[in-house]
Amino acid sequence: MALSRALLARLKEIVGPVYVLTRPEDVVVYEQDAFLVAHALPDIVVLPGSAAEVAGVVRAAHEANVPLVVRGAGTGLNGGSIPIAGGVMLVLTRMNRILEIDPRNRLAVVEPGVVNADLTAAAARHGLFYAPDPGSQSVSTIGGNVGNNAGGPHCLSYGVTGNHVLAMEIALASGGMTWVGGRSVDPPGYDLCGVMVGSEGTLAVVTAVVVRLLRKAEAARTLLAAFETIDDASQTVSEIIAAGIVPTAMEMMDGVVMAAVEAAIHAGYPADAGAVLLIEVEGLPDSLPRQMERIETICRAHTPRMLRTAASEQERLLLWKGRKEGAGALGRLAPSYYLHDGVVPRTRLPEVMRKVVEIGKAHHLRIGNLFHAGDGNLHPIILFNPREPGIMDKVVRAGEEILHACVEAGGTITGEHGVGIEKREYMRWMFSDADLLAMQRVKRAFDPSGVMNPGKLLPLGTRPDVTIKPVMTAGMWT
Amino acid sequence: MRDLTIDADRLARELGGMLGAAVQRDPASLRAHAVDGLVPQIRCAPKDTDELCAILRVCDASGAAVIPWGGGTAMHWGNPPSRADVVISLEQFNRLVEHDDANLTATVQAGMRVAALQELLGGRHQCLAIDPPDPQHSTIGGTAAANINGPRRMAYGGVRDLVIGMKMVLASGEPIKAGGKVVKNVAGYDMCKLFVGSLGTLGIITEVTFKMTPLPETAGTVVARGSLAQTASLIEALFGSVLTPAAVTVVDGRVAAAAGLQPAEASVAVWAEGFTETVARHVRDVQAMAGQSGMTTEVVHDIGHRRLWETVRDFGAVGAPPVVFRLTVPPADVMPVLAVVCRLSDGGALRYVAHAGTGTVWLAFDTPAPVTAWFPRLAALAQEYHGHAVLAAAPPEVKRTVDVWGPSPQALGLMQELKRQFDPHGTLNPGRFVAGI
Ligand SMILES: Cc1cc2nc3c(=O)[nH]c(=O)nc-3n(C[C@H](O)[C@H](O)[C@H](O)COP(=O)(O)OP(=O)(O)OC[C@H]3O[C@@H](n4cnc5c(N)ncnc54)[C@H](O)[C@@H]3O)c2cc1C
Ligand SMILES: Cc1cc2nc3c(=O)[nH]c(=O)nc-3n(C[C@H](O)[C@H](O)[C@H](O)COP(=O)(O)OP(=O)(O)OC[C@H]3O[C@@H](n4cnc5c(N)ncnc54)[C@H](O)[C@@H]3O)c2cc1C
Repeated sequence: MALSRALLARLKEIVGPVYVLTRPEDVVVYEQDAFLVAHALPDIVVLPGSAAEVAGVVRAAHEANVPLVVRGAGTGLNGGSIPIAGGVMLVLTRMNRILEIDPRNRLAVVEPGVVNADLTAAAARHGLFYAPDPGSQSVSTIGGNVGNNAGGPHCLSYGVTGNHVLAMEIALASGGMTWVGGRSVDPPGYDLCGVMVGSEGTLAVVTAVVVRLLRKAEAARTLLAAFETIDDASQTVSEIIAAGIVPTAMEMMDGVVMAAVEAAIHAGYPADAGAVLLIEVEGLPDSLPRQMERIETICRAHTPRMLRTAASEQERLLLWKGRKEGAGALGRLAPSYYLHDGVVPRTRLPEVMRKVVEIGKAHHLRIGNLFHAGDGNLHPIILFNPREPGIMDKVVRAGEEILHACVEAGGTITGEHGVGIEKREYMRWMFSDADLLAMQRVKRAFDPSGVMNPGKLLPLGTRPDVTIKPVMTAGMWT
Repeated sequence: MRDLTIDADRLARELGGMLGAAVQRDPASLRAHAVDGLVPQIRCAPKDTDELCAILRVCDASGAAVIPWGGGTAMHWGNPPSRADVVISLEQFNRLVEHDDANLTATVQAGMRVAALQELLGGRHQCLAIDPPDPQHSTIGGTAAANINGPRRMAYGGVRDLVIGMKMVLASGEPIKAGGKVVKNVAGYDMCKLFVGSLGTLGIITEVTFKMTPLPETAGTVVARGSLAQTASLIEALFGSVLTPAAVTVVDGRVAAAAGLQPAEASVAVWAEGFTETVARHVRDVQAMAGQSGMTTEVVHDIGHRRLWETVRDFGAVGAPPVVFRLTVPPADVMPVLAVVCRLSDGGALRYVAHAGTGTVWLAFDTPAPVTAWFPRLAALAQEYHGHAVLAAAPPEVKRTVDVWGPSPQALGLMQELKRQFDPHGTLNPGRFVAGI
């Protein structure tokens, strides 16, 4: 795309020349996110330092009718921040100030580039924490978490990003800025703040966010349960939920992933088990023993290989370390992998997990599983060697079959990673033309000229270009 | 500009041809469906989504204003409609479609009464953790459309947090769906958020899927009585602690008396539920904190607990007082705001129910007189605390003199554009929402 000198000059004026990048060796850094199989170069990268600068850049892009793509840390897994139509990329990492922490009202006001873990660290000084805890929390930004409505292990009881965002300031393509939502509940009018969460940069740019903070629970108990088979572990998850028990977290890791994790960090997982569950409950210590007892009773009915309660905080952290670094450890298993994301009703978990195994066998692909089992949120990880001819087609096909299985079981094509370019055509598996048109109407109301992150989230009718970029190595972002 | 007068006879014939006897025009029934004094010309009750779509297509094409009707318990909520031609009742959408108890979800038709739903869910030891006023009459669709949140929101989340899927019909008669029946879902825009609280101005909700909550093993309430200042210090201690109550609500003496409690300047009710041990711990700790604030406590269970929370739930809605305001402020500002309000009223005819955990304060007056003086004052007070004041109930002639939603939101332009996108002819509940949307 040929961009006018006038636009370039205007952008330099708005943010300062050092924060406008155009040389190929500078912009190449931003051609990709963690959806490792697609890439595209932005024409111009702009790193604004304030909300006012963002608004200026958005207006300039709109007036020049040039696509605008927002990027936080670029850990998104759906290609959402890949500038497939070129144009201007807004990188918000400089806007990383925590503007306010109000411990009385348990809220924080942050710039979009604040890293998730930094917010939680700052809140911890007041005995508070920010609940959504994506596996990428040490790098991903609050703006990106809002963009994709990120979840994480502890979202089972605490809820996802959307449940913790009270308000935000947004910059619109029209050049205007406005607050949506509020520091108090139920502000009059439509819930535009709720609509913005998960909109993947296609409606407006988030320039500040008010989030809810929670008080740390008095106590936590963590249980590791190892089973012979994935099926036993899945049945256990279904039964715990069916018994009306909602733990704070309930994560599953299968034998494939566990072996890699054990080799990497020695967390104490039994390396030869079929699957383990990591179950955590939090609350007042008064009732935790009985809650754990009920959970253990259900686990025992599925002849666990091992049941271990973390005896100390140190042991608890080690068990969690294994979970959190699982994705990174996968690099040991294969040169590359494709991380999927689908959801099923928790009653259907055992049968869908059986299907995942079958699909892997049918395509001669190794699949590992490391996921938020309590939510029914699967993350099958297809392991492959990109040098193998024709492999990408096979990997994509297997992934599509898995997502089909989720939809057929009454579930969805994505629980937390979002649609982006990866799944935009799969939207038709779930939604009718009328449903999609209703979403288009929302898009039109916010972004009538269509400059905000074009080609994402809504189906275009053409498949995204999925190719392997050999320079990327799997697991490099963990 | 479209011609806003409709030919009601022709419209009734057209609808009658489609629906037969389900179209009503008898004057008494229509008067019973007046909205802020406006009497509709036609009432109909479609039996399914196909019929509802057909009715909306006809109304939208003929320029008739449509009023969706659930239980009719909140028809005074919002600005008076600018027009009201056809009331569409959801009374035939009254089924529990699916209770997937093992997945902790339920799918319910919009016209189902909240109490009827809770009874079925209770049979399988679950509930919907939303407590709208008058559950015998209020419906699931109305509760979602009006975004009703009861006292336990601080523990379970609000309507927007508990809804995971929806079906609705747009003004054009087009049926759409949003979300699904799984608890995590980020496929496309979160359209449920847009429709929760849209007060029937974007589409008619026909079905809602919710997250369920297991019924707690036990529940109880500690009530502490004292002055407003003592109440404030107890609440501060409570929120500085690790306790996780289901609700923390402050009521004045008259509300306390109605709830069967000993009246005081202020009473704070702390609802604890869950495991027996958890409830016992809450009771113990809250009593100790109240003692430190110099307050007297009593503990209520069973009937006493139920009566108290039903009084709180129905406050301002059932046996409607003439004027009700709702203030929302950040949670820690509830007590400062309440103190100002009480000082202003100077022992006047003011009653209140204030949810300290969520930041929602309900104020009721027994005469309509205070609206002109109080509304601007409350709006300014709320704004000072980053909050809002809404006139929740008042006689129609009083409501016509103000915007009940208060000053227009900053994002009004976007909201108006969304309304145009979804209901370009202004067919659904015209004039009721913010700034006359
Ligand atoms: C190892 C690993 C583990 C992960 N674990 C999880 C997990 O447990 N749960 C989970 O949900 N996700 C997970 N993810 C995915 C990813 O980290 C999340 O989606 C995260 O929220 C993205 O944040 P980011 O700052 O990297 O955003 P980016 O990737 O930069 O952007 C994400 C999307 O949001 C948009 N966006 C970014 N900033 C803004 C803004 N200010 N305004 C408007 N739109 C904006 C972008 O345009 C893009 O569409 C994981 C990823 C990796 C690599
Ligand atoms: C003072 C007071 C306190 C209240 N507390 C609150 C509160 O905390 N928060 C709050 O926001 N409201 C509150 N309400 C509203 C009321 O209690 C609930 O709205 C009730 O649960 C609604 O159910 P219903 O079936 O009676 O709705 P109705 O009275 O029939 O309808 C309510 C509104 O929703 C629309 N509607 C109804 N069904 C549908 C549908 N299926 N699709 C689309 N639109 C529909 C109607 O047109 C109407 O505008 C209060 C009301 C009063 C009087």
